[in-house]
Amino acid sequence: MNPFCEIAVEEAVRLKEKKIVSEIIAVSCGPQQCQETIRTALAMGADRGIHVDVSAKDAETLGPFQVSKVLAALAKKENVNLVLLGKQAIDDDCNQTGQMTAALLDWPQATFASEVKVEGEKLIVIREVDGGLETISVKLPAVVTADLRLNEPRYATLPNIMKAKKKKVDQVKPSDLGVDITSRVHILSVEDPPQRQAGVKVETVEDLVSKLKESGRI
Amino acid sequence: MLPLLRSLLRAHGGRVLYSAARHSSATYLQSFILHNTEVVTDHLTPEIRLLLLTPRCKYWHLRPEHWPYGDPYWAIYWPGGQALGRYFLDNPDVVRCRRIMDLGSGCGAVSIAAKMGGASYVVANDIDPVAAAAFALNCQLNGMDDLPFDPENIIGDDAGLWDVIALGDMFYDEQLADSLHRWLRRCMEQHGTTVLIGDPGRGHFLGHPIQKQLQKVAEYSLPESTKQENYGLTTSAVWRYQPGCS
Repeated sequence: MNPFCEIAVEEAVRLKEKKIVSEIIAVSCGPQQCQETIRTALAMGADRGIHVDVSAKDAETLGPFQVSKVLAALAKKENVNLVLLGKQAIDDDCNQTGQMTAALLDWPQATFASEVKVEGEKLIVIREVDGGLETISVKLPAVVTADLRLNEPRYATLPNIMKAKKKKVDQVKPSDLGVDITSRVHILSVEDPPQRQAGVKVETVEDLVSKLKESGRI
Repeated sequence: MLPLLRSLLRAHGGRVLYSAARHSSATYLQSFILHNTEVVTDHLTPEIRLLLLTPRCKYWHLRPEHWPYGDPYWAIYWPGGQALGRYFLDNPDVVRCRRIMDLGSGCGAVSIAAKMGGASYVVANDIDPVAAAAFALNCQLNGMDDLPFDPENIIGDDAGLWDVIALGDMFYDEQLADSLHRWLRRCMEQHGTTVLIGDPGRGHFLGHPIQKQLQKVAEYSLPESTKQENYGLTTSAVWRYQPGCS
């Protein structure tokens, strides 16, 4: 699981342990492998899962906009009060899904959270910003994205992994939610980092000096 | 021989294919349990000593596929079972001189609590053969002769023999929950059986249609160690099933 998402799950479980949250639904969009990620969230304490089934081919072009449409549709369908997400994925580094989900739902957003407190129908969130820490208050329902220092996620242990196996994971397709996942982004090119050339082994210092001379380095 | 065999089999695709069937004799199972669990009293019924898996046991930290048998549900004292056990010990009138069926008995703590509370006859029922061995050891550990154990799936059978059916943490498997619900209703209608359910309030149980016919009779805060085994849960309760009420 993406580390920021792990922090978001941990925060949800802590809110449940404080009896502020009654049920945690773990959602992941993508191919079959997503179920493993959902099982990890269930072993951390989420109550049930929803796997939004997207084929491996379609998942390649699945971007923040498509995922946020799915999340917004599920948030309405499941009648949730709080959407907690990691601030960004560590593969594409987009950092857009939480913000877009809030916009689509027309809910307030509290991004880069390093502390979340619930006070009645409001959330008090401390945000990590450039100049330090900013404290804001947002009305529920709301979208919160987790930053690195929000908490330290727990490990899934055997008893929790075992129990997670029996928790329910529903499967839905984006079309069941009325969501079109066609990408509107055209990627012009993707370039791999330069390949490192293999080196040569030398036996002695003399060999090294002659090799360096040969290649014109000294 | 055994570790070698296991490591050889693990080399094939990284999965433990080693069959436990060869080592399923009661003596072998009991020695396996004694080696891989420890005596625990840090739960809601400290008067009952139980052999359980703890963070000090090696399998706690290994990936579940290394465990050589079916999932060890019996190696954990589940929160619903803990609530039932505590309830029986604190309210012996519920079980005294009555015949008790402990369905999905696992480690057997609920059966042991019922017997301690003065039940006339107790049967532990669990379809996991390893649970049978663990139950026998736990009975001995608490100075009891082995109580009867039934390894068959009895859900759907005639339950005329029982005054009380106790079920700890049996309502979180959706399919099982539905068939259980039908059967329990029949038990009550035909025989007036008392049905007591222990559950820590999992989302699925709280959302199940049976909830409308349940009355909460006791609720307990879970000890810290149990919270660690049940991320997200902090309390557990006993519910009495009363079809017809809503």
